[in-house]
Formats: sequence, structure tokens, C-alpha cells
Amino acid sequence: MEARSAAENVPNRGRRLWVLVPILLLVAVVSLFSARGGSLLELVGRNPPPPDEFDVRRVEFSPGEIRVRVTNPQRDDLTIATVTVDDAIVPYEVDGPTTLGRLRSATIVIPYDWVEDEPIAVGITSSTGIQTTEEIAAAVETPGPSGEGFLGYAILGTLVGIVPIALGLLWLPSLRRASPQWLAAFMALTGGLLTFLALEALAEALELQAGLPGALGGTGLVLLGVASSYLALTFLSRRLGRGAVEKGGVLGGLALATLVAIGIGVHNLGEGLAVGTSFALGELTLGTFLVIGFMLHNVTEGLGIAAPLAEGRRASLARLAALTLAAGAPTIVGAWLGGYLTNDVLGVLFFALAAGAALQVVVEVGRFVARRAPGGLTSGHAVGGFLTGIALMYATGLLVG
Amino acid sequence: MSNSRAVTRRQLIVGAAPVVAAAPFAGLAFAGRSQTEATHVHGETHTGHAAMIGEQVPAPGGPTDLDELTYPPPALPHQPGRVRAYTLTAHDLDIEVAKGVTFPAWTYNGTVPGPVIRATEDDLLRVHFANGGSHPHTIHFHGIHPANMDGVFEIVNPGETFTYEFPARPYGMHLYHCHATPLKKHIHKGLYGAFIIDPPEPRPPAQELVMVMNAFDTDGDGENNFYAVNGPAFYYARYPIRVRRSQTVRIYLANLTEFDLVNSFHLHGDFFRYYATGRSEHVEYTDTVMLCQGERGIIEIDFANTGHFMFHAHQSEFAELGWMGFFEVVD
Repeated sequence: MEARSAAENVPNRGRRLWVLVPILLLVAVVSLFSARGGSLLELVGRNPPPPDEFDVRRVEFSPGEIRVRVTNPQRDDLTIATVTVDDAIVPYEVDGPTTLGRLRSATIVIPYDWVEDEPIAVGITSSTGIQTTEEIAAAVETPGPSGEGFLGYAILGTLVGIVPIALGLLWLPSLRRASPQWLAAFMALTGGLLTFLALEALAEALELQAGLPGALGGTGLVLLGVASSYLALTFLSRRLGRGAVEKGGVLGGLALATLVAIGIGVHNLGEGLAVGTSFALGELTLGTFLVIGFMLHNVTEGLGIAAPLAEGRRASLARLAALTLAAGAPTIVGAWLGGYLTNDVLGVLFFALAAGAALQVVVEVGRFVARRAPGGLTSGHAVGGFLTGIALMYATGLLVG
Repeated sequence: MSNSRAVTRRQLIVGAAPVVAAAPFAGLAFAGRSQTEATHVHGETHTGHAAMIGEQVPAPGGPTDLDELTYPPPALPHQPGRVRAYTLTAHDLDIEVAKGVTFPAWTYNGTVPGPVIRATEDDLLRVHFANGGSHPHTIHFHGIHPANMDGVFEIVNPGETFTYEFPARPYGMHLYHCHATPLKKHIHKGLYGAFIIDPPEPRPPAQELVMVMNAFDTDGDGENNFYAVNGPAFYYARYPIRVRRSQTVRIYLANLTEFDLVNSFHLHGDFFRYYATGRSEHVEYTDTVMLCQGERGIIEIDFANTGHFMFHAHQSEFAELGWMGFFEVVD
């Protein structure tokens, strides 16, 4: 046997080099085509002209000034030739060359005495005469990176992220006294909550990616985000679960609660980003009602973390605090990111990561309920709990919508 | 927001960025801001960095580029039967309609508007038309002429020619344009121009100018992106028209703006006599006239003062999209 495989190893070396042959040939064909392909393409007709539309990423207002961030979403170069505000040609400056290559961005600075709270339309005309118009429903001064703003986002993030989760965890003593059936119901409820969050994050990611320039490969980006976080959490759950093998290989107690907290945390990063961005762009009235809505919505997330903790060893207060921070603090980070930089690619990625993480935790919770709960996944308590979780999220979500 | 921070941010911008464009602008003038205010950088609010007149104005072309279209050939004395021959060739051409913006135009002799055609009443007008473009075209003259010279039925296909021949009448300010269908496309692409027929009794001497009001829809959405007279946006803001106060200024004005219902001409700081269709039957003394597409007339100004006087469409939108210029009145 061994002699035979050794004999095969010699021609194998040649075969390994053979791997390079298709690559070398591909390089040759591609370079031949790029050198001569233009005339070849003419055989099948002429290409239509590029749309020559800019992608307006962000419009910011400061006293006496409008700043417009634009990107060239197409393959061909795009040149900024004329800028209009409310159908009037205006003077402007650009922070670099006016001709933008593929996916290149520039900031157009327009000195302009805009009127607060009134609608305004900014138009960017390309050298080929194509005008891209961005309509802003109401001109409002864009908050700059100030100490107060930073603190404001932090307080807001704490209020809607950390406080409700901490409050939700206060149900822990009551859960500990619950019967196994009821505990299963609450675990299933956690599953329902997370399923809802996963779907919500996925929808958000898909919606955001639809607005991205095609060249950034939106759906692929979503899949990449979902798959990465799902697999990363799977890996993490295996690591956390090493001690749980004796319990039938099912993650429970603190390990499962940690996983749930991480899943919720990743979701809250996206949520914070969305809130911060909308607020910074003046698209969202961050009223008292909305903050209260988010608080009610997120209390249920605290309950979700509490449910797996109810069985098994008691967790220390420090552990509980750490779980609360893992789940809630990303809201603050997200709000900062969203408030000060707008990047839809980042948004898509965050929401996709959130969807993948939540899905993985749903699977983990499902395994827990299936193996450990009386009656398994199809017991009345489990089904009822799962549906209640979804309904609860839906009902509290209405307050935010 | 503190003032010092505003300055810091602005300095950042200035540091990071070469000044790329400084546009002119009508809005400034309407707001009554002085040039010094406009160029003031550290103020809390500032509406523009640029002057709205002169070299700073980003209009395409050089100072003499529009001379052919602005200053008509002189009127000739009345001499019935004299032949006035013109050659017009249609061809497709990319033209710069605003600073840095090109438009795939259809032109007569390479300009939009086309050349000024001028004759005296009772001249025999002979216009050789060659179609070097990619679509069928015609020339439809306004005036009195036989049906087979009307430029409606005699479609001239690419590569073909046609000669229009008819006596020039009646005297007045007229226009010509392509009448191939779709009409809207053929006109807004640029196939039009001024057509002056002088009266048998010569008009009093004057500094004569032609202004054809036009507009360009560069992105094909059925709405104009740029407005002007004689072609490019803001041209006469960059290069004011110099006239003498001692002599009457006579403007042959026509409206060939597509898509918008009307256009208008408004003069700052003075009044003028307006002769509708360039006839003498009816005179209006005003500073603003409104013209439908195809309407035209003659404006006569006797400037009372020297200095820079703005003229523009009194549709603010048109003015701020390029239909604005200046007279520089000198002694």
C-alpha cells in the first residue's frame, strides 16, 4: 500500500502543477479579450450610454452651508458639472477632483442660506447633462460631533438598550420558581422573540442593500453577513458547550444565556445604528414616545436572557451585569456610529450579522427546548410560548413603528 | 454651534479642497447682496463666493464666440427682386450649453440657435438647405410664402438638399425652425433661429442685437435644465454686452423655448419700447414682456444711465438656471 502511494506521489507533483494551467490560460484569454474585445462586442450591438446618475449618500446642513456627499455608482467616470439648489444654479466647492472614478466619493460644499424646516431639493448635474435630484423633506441643522451629542447618544443608548434589559432580568427570581412546563414556555418565548428579531434584521438588511449601488453586491453582502455571524456563533456555542456535554450536548443555563445576550447585542448594534442615522439625517423625530416604545420593546429582550438562566447554577450579579452590557451596550456604539458616519454598507452588514446571530441562537434555544423541556418542541407550552414571543415583539414593535 | 468651530470646519474644507467651481448668480442679485458680502468667507451666513458678473462667472466659451449670433448683419436698402442667398447645413454636434455640460444638439451651421437670416422686404430669399444630420429635417420659415416652401411637406432626408425660395415679406421680426416630426424633439434639440425682414422704409440707426431665448433639457425628462439667450447659460453675465448710452439699442427678440409655456424679457434700471412681431402698428412702453413659444418682437432701449444693467427672464427659475446677462452702458 505504502509503496504504491509513494509511487503515485511522483506523477502527483506534475498534476499539482497542472492546477496552474487553467489559471494561466484564463489570464491569457482575459488579456487577449481586454486588448481586442471592444471590436468583438460591437458584433452584438452598441452598449447604451451609462445612466450618469450620482448616488447621493448624505446631505448635511450647517448655518449658511449645505454639504452633499456623492458617490459614482457606475463603471464609467462621472463628472460633477453643475450644482443646483431648488432649481437654481449655485456656486460650490468640491473636496477633490470633480471627476469621480467607479465608487469614488466626493463632498460638495455649497454656501447657501437655507430656510429651516422647509423642503429643499439639491441637484447634481453631470457633464453629460443628467441631473440627480435629492429631495429633503425638511432642512434641519445636522448635529456635528460635539461632546453633548456624544453624551446624548450614550444616554439614549443606555435608556433604550441597557436599562430595559436589566429590568427584564429582574424576572429571573420568578422564573426560577416556575415549573418545568412554564420554564419551557419562557424558553420558547425567547425563541419567538429572536425569530422575530432575525426576520426584522434580515428585512432591514435587504431593504438597505436595495438602495446600494449595484456594484457593491448587496444580496451577496447580506448572505456573507448572515453566514459569518451564524457560523461564528456556532463555533462559540461549541466552545461554551464543552462543559455541557454531560447534559446531552445541549447548551443550557449561563452558556445559553450568554449566547442569547450576544445574539441580542449584535441585533441592538444594528438597531442603534438605525436610530442614530435616522436622527442625524433628520428623518426621525426622536420623541419621548419613541424612546418609551423602544424601552418596552427591549424589556422583552431582558426576559429572553433571563429564561435560560432560570435553570442550572445561580449566576453572580457581576455575570448578570456582563450579560446586560453584552446585550445592551452595542446600542450605544451603534447610535454613535449611525449618528456620525453614514455608511449604508456598514448598515447592511450590521443587520445581516444581526440576522445570522439571532438565527443561530434560535437554533440553540430550539435544541434546548427539544431535549430538555417536558413534551419537547410540540408541547402546548412550547408552541404557545413561541407564538407569544412573536406576538409580544410585534405588539411592542408597533410602538416604535 | 459656536462660531469658532464653524470657522475651523470651514478651514478644513478650504485646506482639503481646491476651489473647483464658483458659479454666478442671479439669486445673489435678487437678494440685493453686494459683491463684497458675497465673497466674504468668515461670515455666519454667506450666499456665494463668486461674483455674478465677469470672468468669475462659469459660462462656456470665449468673449467673441457669440458675436455672429449677437450682432446681425446690417440691413440693406429696399430693392425689390434682389436675391438674398443663404446656405444652411444641419448637423449633429455636441455643444457646451453650460459650463462643463455638453448636450448632443442638432444644429443649423453648428450653432444653437442657427445663423441670423436677414432680408429686406421684397428681396427674393434663397436658402439652400443641406441635411448633414442623422434624422430628416426641414426649415419652416414664419412669414408669407407659397405652401410648397413651408418646410412641412418637403421632408429633407439625411444627405439630401432642398432650396427654399420666396419673396421676403412681411417686414418684422420672425423666426425659422425645423418642422419635421416629432416637432418637440426637433426644436428642443436646437434647430431654430432668428429671421429678420427689414421694412422698405429703413428703421432709424441703432446698435442692433439679436436674442433668441432658448433652453436645454439635458437629461430628457421633458423639463429644461438650462435657460439662456443665444445658447449657453450665463454667457452674457460672463461677457456683458457693451452699448453706448448715446445710441438706441435695438434687440430682435424671439422665444424658442421648448417645454415651458412662456418666456420673458425684463430689463433693469430702464424702460423700452416693444414692437410685437417687429411691426410698428402697436407700441408698448414697459420693462417686461412675455412671449409664448414662437412669439417675437423688437425692443428699443434709450439708456438714461451708464453702468451695468441686468437683463433676464422674469421667471426667477429661468434666470437662476442661466437666462441672465448684463448690458454695460458706457458714454
